[in-house]
Amino acid sequence: MNQFLFKQDNGNELMLFPHILEMGVRKNLSVQLNAFPEIVATRFCVYYVIDGKFDWQVAGRRSIILPKDAVYVMPGEKIGGVNGTLDVGTVAWIHLDIDCLLDKGRTQGKWSGFSESEALTIEHIFRMHRAAHLPILNEVSRIFQDIYTELQQREVGYASMVNQLLDELIIVLVRQLTRQSASSRDFPKKFLQLEQMLRQNLAHQWTVEEMAASVGMGTTSFTERVRSYSGFSPLSYLINLRVTEATRLLKQPDLNVTDIALDTGFYSSQHFSTTFKKLTGYTPREFRKKNLYL
Amino acid sequence: MDCFISIELGTNAVRVYAFDTNGAIVGFNRGAYTTFHPAADYSEQDPEQIFITMLFVLKNLVSEIKSTGKYQIVSLCFSASMHSLLAVDRNGVPLGNAITWADNRGKQETKRLRTKALARKLYEATGTPIHPMSPLLKILWLKSNQQEKFEKTSMFLSIKSYIIMQLTGRYVIDLSLASATGLLNIHHFGWEQEALDYAGITPTQLPDIVPISDSSCKLKRQYQVSLGIGPETKIIAGSSDGCFASLGGGIMEEGRATITIEDSAAMRIIGRKVLQDEGCRMFNYILDEHYYISGGPSNNGSVVFEWFSRQFANYTDSYSDEMVMRDLLLMAEQVDAGADGLLFLPYLLGERAPIWNPSARGVYFGANINHDRRHFIRATIEGILFEMYSIGKLLLQHRDISQITVNGSFVTAPLISRLLADIFNIPMSVNQHVSAVSTGAFLLSAKEFGIYRSLEEAAKSITLHAPVHPDPANHAIYAKYHQLFEKLTDKLSPEFELLDELTLLSDKH
Repeated sequence: MNQFLFKQDNGNELMLFPHILEMGVRKNLSVQLNAFPEIVATRFCVYYVIDGKFDWQVAGRRSIILPKDAVYVMPGEKIGGVNGTLDVGTVAWIHLDIDCLLDKGRTQGKWSGFSESEALTIEHIFRMHRAAHLPILNEVSRIFQDIYTELQQREVGYASMVNQLLDELIIVLVRQLTRQSASSRDFPKKFLQLEQMLRQNLAHQWTVEEMAASVGMGTTSFTERVRSYSGFSPLSYLINLRVTEATRLLKQPDLNVTDIALDTGFYSSQHFSTTFKKLTGYTPREFRKKNLYL
Repeated sequence: MDCFISIELGTNAVRVYAFDTNGAIVGFNRGAYTTFHPAADYSEQDPEQIFITMLFVLKNLVSEIKSTGKYQIVSLCFSASMHSLLAVDRNGVPLGNAITWADNRGKQETKRLRTKALARKLYEATGTPIHPMSPLLKILWLKSNQQEKFEKTSMFLSIKSYIIMQLTGRYVIDLSLASATGLLNIHHFGWEQEALDYAGITPTQLPDIVPISDSSCKLKRQYQVSLGIGPETKIIAGSSDGCFASLGGGIMEEGRATITIEDSAAMRIIGRKVLQDEGCRMFNYILDEHYYISGGPSNNGSVVFEWFSRQFANYTDSYSDEMVMRDLLLMAEQVDAGADGLLFLPYLLGERAPIWNPSARGVYFGANINHDRRHFIRATIEGILFEMYSIGKLLLQHRDISQITVNGSFVTAPLISRLLADIFNIPMSVNQHVSAVSTGAFLLSAKEFGIYRSLEEAAKSITLHAPVHPDPANHAIYAKYHQLFEKLTDKLSPEFELLDELTLLSDKH
């Protein structure tokens, strides 16, 4: 690919694509000081190194980026060359607005073909990995090339093609991310991250597939792994967390029992009551009475 | 047949075992809970999660046991990790998470106390070394850093006291766990006023002290129903994990000791007298009214070896953790004693006994061009075991030890127990019982039901594998390397401090 730069406010290549903020390729023939200062990304930024060797800070971590490596950062994460320097080599990038992926309620500006549940899983994965250096990702090179060609030649159906390619780019990144993090040596750490994610959103009706995907594993091996690590099946572990949180909330006098049931992910206060009583012998209301002497 | 249940509230998980009257395990269940590290040096657990997890696990085990139709559950006996602290308000509602033994936030408070003459006095009175692990120092930290929470605190509990409170409605702490708080006088078995004064709390803010065999707490009716356990089932207060592991190691006779290596590690002896260490380096906890458990804990047990294998082992071929461990041990066996001059100081998590230095760090020393992966594996293992020997040498100054029982999955691997025998020059016997802690709980429960007349008699029932004997030639090599190991540890002390300051500085930037 030759050097180019498409920008929203400059030229009309991106007119049909308000979600692509910028796309470009730069061939850097000599070390440029202050050409790539560390900045906080405001968009979802993907970089791909075509040749050369780049020394960058990615979300506070120093990474050496080599040809065929991809890097992305979520909005709010920092990226830039070490000391602002841009090293010798060729790099391609694309900046996207993926809010519509991450904000399910928003249909305006929706360009992606992902179903709601796919989008949700992808969102969880990106939330857990807010930036990453993904080494040797051959597919990205072809996708960049194809997007560029489509934008240049504008053949029939090019708008759909570009959006499909963007979906493909996101899938390639997410899949590599989950593969990279699935290594068994990191499981305890992943499990901790998963638990924190579950605790933050207990009201969501988690499925095992979603939980497995967010740590980058298939459902079967995930279930097996969770069982051997925690002694519980994934869904039992989740119920365990729900009752735990409900127990805590019941001790706060100002909360309504039905709200507690729904906030902790039970279908109804009846469902909550049955589950809670089976384990503790108390209905939630009795439990609250016993634990509040005010 | 009667059946005794042991509930172990461990560092990472609750383990529940059911024993028949012969001490055979007839049921087991476990459930993990999470440790949170919201900041460096912090280590916390969610008390409600521990309680709910315990209920789940216990309920499942009880229904499994009852479904066989063969057993009558006569008692539940509790054990827990030492040194945890949970503050609750006047309604018994937790004020945040429990702080675990591994939490080091009280570093500054520890340094301050150590400069005072009071430090030695408190150590001698309470048996607990002056260290951030101690609930005394945790309370002091709370007082100086979270004053509002400190003032709202109606009771300072251990995790086990909280769990027993949920089940029975009473605030109690057994004598063993109480003796690991830094707040109990181990000679008079009552709260140590001087420690309480220094912490700024009153005895009414602490649970009632009960003997480890106490069964005066009664299970609330609701839990009788939900768990399927009748009112006649005794709730035995139990002990700490460390004290039960020593009892379950069967070492009550003269000349015996245990080495436990789990994530963390400890070497312990049982005796009728407190062990007086000039350097304040050994703990003295209470087993019961007649016996003390003395020894030293290390932070750097199998957690160090797991760290090593995560960084350097080969995980590519979807290996299980056991396979990875086996491969590493096979490679370590290809190298001779002393790893051809490569030494490792294992202080990845700072260290408790015998140096009590939270700033200590890991060091590989003596690497040369001929060393390869195998030497590093060997040196890593030897470093962990050398540290146990440093604790052992202190104990050997006070007691003759001629046989040692080893517990824990790491140390019971044949290579490890052999190396340990060589390093100590003392035979090592692997405990046949799956969990020494729960075996201890069983022995106490069985004594309460008259199966044994005393704990001494109960401890004699423990069967051990035939001991692994030391190789004198290897011991001679290890004795020399261990001297160097101790010298290095000592010599690097100021450099550890310096490094601590440097990293604190760069954290701030």
